Amino acid sequence: MVTREDVENIALLSKLFVPEEELDSLTQSMQDIINFADEINNAPASDEGFDNINNLSNVFREDVVVPSYPSEEILKNAPEQGEDHFLVRNRA
Amino acid sequence: MGSIAKIHDMLVSKECSCTELTKRYLSEIEASNGELNAYVNVTGDEALRAAKLVDDKIAAGEEIGMLEGVPMTLKDNMSTKGIETTCCSKILTGYKPIYDATVWELLKAQNAVMLGKTNMDEFAMGSSCENSCFGGAANPFDTNHVAGGSSGGVSSAVGANIAAYGLGSDTGGSIRQPASFCGVVGLKPTYGAVSRYGLIAYASSLDQIGPITKSVEDAAIVFDAIAKPDKRDSTSKGSAGETYSQLSNDIKGMKIGIAREYLDGVRDDVREAVLEAAKVYESLGAEIVYFDLPILKFALPVYYIIACAEASSNLGRYDGIRYGYKTEHYTGTHDMICRTRSEGFGEEVKRRILLGTYVLSAGYYDAYYKKAQNLRGTIIQAFNRAFEACDVILAPTVPMTAFEKGHATSDPIETYLTDICTVPVNIAGLPGVSVPCGFNAKGMPIGMQLIGKSFGEATILNAAYQYQQAAPEKFMDTKWGVKL
Repeated sequence: MVTREDVENIALLSKLFVPEEELDSLTQSMQDIINFADEINNAPASDEGFDNINNLSNVFREDVVVPSYPSEEILKNAPEQGEDHFLVRNRA
Repeated sequence: MGSIAKIHDMLVSKECSCTELTKRYLSEIEASNGELNAYVNVTGDEALRAAKLVDDKIAAGEEIGMLEGVPMTLKDNMSTKGIETTCCSKILTGYKPIYDATVWELLKAQNAVMLGKTNMDEFAMGSSCENSCFGGAANPFDTNHVAGGSSGGVSSAVGANIAAYGLGSDTGGSIRQPASFCGVVGLKPTYGAVSRYGLIAYASSLDQIGPITKSVEDAAIVFDAIAKPDKRDSTSKGSAGETYSQLSNDIKGMKIGIAREYLDGVRDDVREAVLEAAKVYESLGAEIVYFDLPILKFALPVYYIIACAEASSNLGRYDGIRYGYKTEHYTGTHDMICRTRSEGFGEEVKRRILLGTYVLSAGYYDAYYKKAQNLRGTIIQAFNRAFEACDVILAPTVPMTAFEKGHATSDPIETYLTDICTVPVNIAGLPGVSVPCGFNAKGMPIGMQLIGKSFGEATILNAAYQYQQAAPEKFMDTKWGVKL
């Protein structure tokens, strides 16, 4: 059973605001999706487990220092930037 | 002959220059994109610059490669240096990557001519392309119908001949489903065959990049070009070998399996078209074997639990600090991040982030996420056993044909059900190709799917090509775009 409090708590963890007027409909929508997901409880018990796909193993490489991207290029995408840093004002 | 080989011949024989050809594509985009909404960003200047390089090479008497000068497109979730890449989300408005995705780096090195970036459901979450902040792409067979999703823009553009080919990404069917809706070919490669470096992540253990093309031979050419190992993607392995040279192999004796569960709940016209294709295969000397795969009925909830869990983590990075959209008014850092995300993400993306956070949260992790991961192992084993009795699996791509615009958005679960035939392939990391196999009474395309063993792209493309040769009337062109 998904409650309004569950949705508020999950929204806080997800860093999303849910307006009060949408809370009931979102709770219902989440409940419907969770009911749908609950179908997996009807699956036969399984101990096959899962740790990777297609037996892929990690691609390792030597830890070689290579030039990184120029910080001024990276900063160009920031909504606000200082001289050599991302800028986050306390309030706006 | 496929579009790519035709264009290659046109350029080499100097029937037209690459610049002329590119201009033809650009003018067709200008004429039709208002109605199709396939492109969200047309990069004409860059395309013409790339075309000139190819023309210079030809003028200098140099040989050109098969993909050189061929006008194409990328789904807007693949990073293109200096070119806006938005995932069709307000939250990435204005974002210009400072590096290229590996797939684009590989194609650019072959002088591919990119016409622009194409439409998609926001962050690849959707089955109709209508979750795009730019509005959905239209189906070239009937513009009142959706192109499908999430790679709806690429499929619409390829189906409408305003790109010779394109790259899409497939997390739960996002290449194969729109390819099926738009009457084109869509290949979702084996997980690990194509590098995901520079692909903006939705669900990292399921995402794969692959080609959307007019013909099977085009899909093989593009797959061979992009399936390379990449040190920057720790799960990348490359392909098991060239697929293009295997297309003409005889399929006599090939065992084609049909899992009865794939035919349950599928519309009659779709089932009939797939069974008719099975008869074509029998006439080509293949053997049809039926079997049961009962675990498939759990694939859809397993998919949504795993995909949303991974998405909730992957989309945590959008905070309004480093790139993209940022809210205007706020009272502190937490408030700024929450407002930015709430204003920047669309409804479906927020719903999936919330669901993903729920199934990963304390008290629910074991019941949902862990259980789904265990079932993922069971589904993989079930496919492994199925492939002991057959070489490829034949199934519908989607239980229906393209729906009318506006239909998909009303009920999320009904929309999720459209993915029922495509998600098992992603869960098991297998390759799958969607190929046109008929039309419904209204003339909308029907697609069938050929599923292979992992790294078995050569086998499924071989089977798909043999079908295309035997049933060319299923590969119908639309009224739009550049006629080669």
